[in-house]
Formats: sequence, structure tokens, C-alpha cells
Amino acid sequence: MKKALQLALGILTAVGGFFDVGNLATSAQAGARFRFQLIWSLLFATILVIFLVEMSGRFAAASGKALPSAIRDHLGFSFWLGPFVILTLVHLLVLGAEIGGISFALQLVTGIGFQWWAFPVAIVIWLFLWRATFSAIENSTSLLGLITVCFVVAAFVHHPPLHQVAAGALPTLPSHDGATYWFIAVSIIGSVIAPYLFYFYSSGAVEDKWDRSYVAVNRGISVIGMTFGSAIALGALVVAAMVLAPRGIHVSDYNQAAAMLTDAFPFWGFVLFAASMGIACLGAALEVALSLAYATSQTFGWNWGEDLHPREDARFSLTYTVAIFLSALIIAAGIDPLKLTLFTMVINAAVLPFVTIPFLLLMNDRRLLGRHCNGWFSNAIVVMIVIVSFVLAVVSIPLAFIGGT
Amino acid sequence: MHELDLARDVMDKQLIDRDCTEMGRIDGVLLELSDDAPPRVDSFELGFVVLAERVHPRLLALLEWLRRWSVRKTARQIVQWSAVEEVTERYIKLSIDATETPAFDWERWLGMNVVEHLPGGKEEE
Repeated sequence: MKKALQLALGILTAVGGFFDVGNLATSAQAGARFRFQLIWSLLFATILVIFLVEMSGRFAAASGKALPSAIRDHLGFSFWLGPFVILTLVHLLVLGAEIGGISFALQLVTGIGFQWWAFPVAIVIWLFLWRATFSAIENSTSLLGLITVCFVVAAFVHHPPLHQVAAGALPTLPSHDGATYWFIAVSIIGSVIAPYLFYFYSSGAVEDKWDRSYVAVNRGISVIGMTFGSAIALGALVVAAMVLAPRGIHVSDYNQAAAMLTDAFPFWGFVLFAASMGIACLGAALEVALSLAYATSQTFGWNWGEDLHPREDARFSLTYTVAIFLSALIIAAGIDPLKLTLFTMVINAAVLPFVTIPFLLLMNDRRLLGRHCNGWFSNAIVVMIVIVSFVLAVVSIPLAFIGGT
Repeated sequence: MHELDLARDVMDKQLIDRDCTEMGRIDGVLLELSDDAPPRVDSFELGFVVLAERVHPRLLALLEWLRRWSVRKTARQIVQWSAVEEVTERYIKLSIDATETPAFDWERWLGMNVVEHLPGGKEEE
């Protein structure tokens, strides 16, 4: 019974962790510019992320170690230093994008410019992490995050042409704006396979004291949770295709995306969009800030744990504190949240090899994982993911210059 | 575990103290060399300067310069191998109290000078 409850909560958390400002921005742009044609990239990225999240959880359950800790342990400091520095910078950018998302949601509701909200939002995120326990954060944000299901409901309300939606599941070449098409495809993959997801998920499994009996629960969470999360992103893409594309709106700022839900929910649409954006970004911001603190503390072997009092893990607590306020600075400086989000998603895609290569090495350590090592099928998938991540790393930055919106 | 591979089982490993408090990682290993016996593990080192030394001499020079603002009294903490109580896949357990070693200087200073002054930072609250 306890495991069934944890499965349900885990699925909710996975949904919350999946859908964030990156998914919202890239799905809205994909639907608005190419209607259903980019659904394949969302589905492709979802399949990859299911495998990676499952492996992160299986690794933590079988070894008792979170990923950053295991990378330093088994691959050494010299191997980890470069990726650690780069991924720390990426975490700060993603955190900035999430704070930008919440700030923009508040701008929609209050009319006060998003940059004025950056520090109040940072204080709220910090207070959450400073005062709440891990499970309180996990459960509250995931339950509130269910509001994002409104995108799926809205997608059904619009009665999209199902044959066109299904046709979008297969990759096709674009008939116009080829560079933008591939740029958005890469951004979607970067938004789904976000590095923080794996460090947060595996560290959370250690915080929740998972052991080998959780391997099956973990499989359920990763498959069902990521699929549900992807369904919400798909809902946003379909709504954008039905509402924004016919009007020629290309979503060059979040104001244009804000009208997405008003056709389906004339009275509540605007507020639902703001609430969905704000809550999804809040959940993700908490996860990103924790992920950064987990990775830093585990790299240097400090005391860490969201359930400890900040006095007991001062360096861990101050790491997320500094990160939150540094990231808030980016938004307070007035940088456009949508542009920051899209740029960050491309960077996410560019740094993927740093995230995926350790999976290949660690998931085959039989001394550590015993019979929970990767089999030939999982290894074939990881090799494919590593190859894809290298291709994305090479093409993402040039595409941002050629096809960036 | 009867055989220890220094690179695999010791370097970079998580250290915990006698109360299971995480106190850092093994950043360097010191061997004792003698003419008439094989090399023997004498002790290991902890500290940012040890890590910097492994990466690049210039990084070490930068850290040495930054140390003027450090609250840590000993940059290079040396722990004798005789303090090792247990070696497992997950950690190396020591028989010492981490809170009384230089590894905890920053933790203690930040706790007293920063965390305690923030809302909810006092343990008794």
C-alpha cells in the first residue's frame, strides 16, 4: 500500500518535473509555427527521457548513490570537473528561465513588469526550500501542478484533426522556414531532456531512502509520469496549433502565448494560463535549485539533504540560496524570459553529451548495481542517446543563430 | 572487501565520520616509500588545494591566493589511514569526529555567521 501511494506521488512529481517553462515555450512555438508537424520531436524526446529517468532511479535504488556523487566516485574529479562547471552554469540559466516564467505569469495577472517580480519570486522559492521538507515540496508542487492538465482539456475542446495529429508523430521535412523548424525541434528535445531532471530524481530517490525493492516502482514512475508530462506538453502544442497558427501568431513573446486558452475557456482561459505557467515554473524552479545544490554538495562530499535543518547542512542550503538570487538577477536585469528560455533549451541540448556519457559507464558497473545493470537493450538505447546527444551538441548552437526566433 | 584498488576504491570516495556525518571526499592519497619495502598507503588528503593541484598548477596558485580570505585554518587536511574504520562501496568511514576537523571549518562558520542570521536559521525555532 505504501509503495502504491509512493508510485502515485512519484508519478505526480514526475509530471510536475516534466512540464516547465521550456516545454510550454517550445510547444507553443512548435504549434504556432508548424502546427502538428513537430509532434515527432516531442515523442522522440519523451522516449529518450523515459529511459534516462528510469536509469537514474534504478541506479539510485540499486546503489544507494545519486548520480553526481557516483560520477565523482567512479569516474574521478578530473573527469567530472568540466561537466560540473558547465552544468552548474546551465542550471543557473534554467533557474533564471523558470523565475522568468513565474515573473511573467505575475505580470499577466497584475500588469506589473516581470522584472519587478524577479526578487519577490526568488524570496518565495528560497522560503519554500529553506523551511519545507523534501516530501512537502514534492507533494505540494506536484498536486498544484495538476492545473496544467487544462492544456490537455483545451486540446480536446478544440477537436483537432486527429489524422493530422497522428501524421505529426512521424518526422517530415518542413515546407517553409527549415532552419526555424530544426531549431524548434532541437529546443523541444533540450526542454524535455533537461539535465536537472536526472540529478534531482536520483538525489530525491536517495532522500526518500529507496532500496532495490523500489526498482519496479521507479519503472512505473518514469514510464507513466513522463508519458503524462509529455501529454500535457502535447496538449499545449495542439492548442497552439488550433488557436495561434490560424491567426498567424508566431509566439515571439509570452504575451502572444497567453491567449492560448481563451478560446477553450473564454472566462477562465487567461487566468488558467497564468496559473499553469506560474505553478509549473515554481515546481521546476524548486527542482532546479535543489538539483544544483545536490550536485555541488555531492561533488565535494558535503552534508546534504532537504530534510536536514539549514544549520546542519549550511553549505548545501547556501548553495541553493546563492543560485536562486544569482538567477533572479538575470530576470531583474530585464532579459526577455522567452528568449532566455529558448536560448537555455538550446544550451541544454548542446551539453547533453556531458549528461548521457556517464549513464553508459555507470549503468554497466556490475559491482555497484549487481543484476540491475543495463542489459543489451538498455545499452543499445543509451548508445543511441549518446549519438543523438553528440549530433544535438554539434547542430544546436549554429541552429540557434540561423533559425532562432 | 579484501583487496583495495586505490584508484577505484579509495580516490574521490565519500568520507563519513564516526557519527556518519559526511565530511568530504578523498582528494589525494599519500604513499610511504622505503627502500626495502613496497609502497604503503600512509594517509590521505582533503581540501580544495589538493583538488586544484590535480587539475592545474595555475588553479593551485589562484586558490593559494584566495586563501587569504578563507576561514579554513588548514588548507590541506591529512588523515592517517589508521583512522579508517570501514571501507564500503558507498563510503569510507573514519573513527574521528568530523566537526572537530578543518573539513568542517566552513560549515561551522557559515552556520554561525550566515544561516543563524536568516529567518528560521536557528535550530531551536
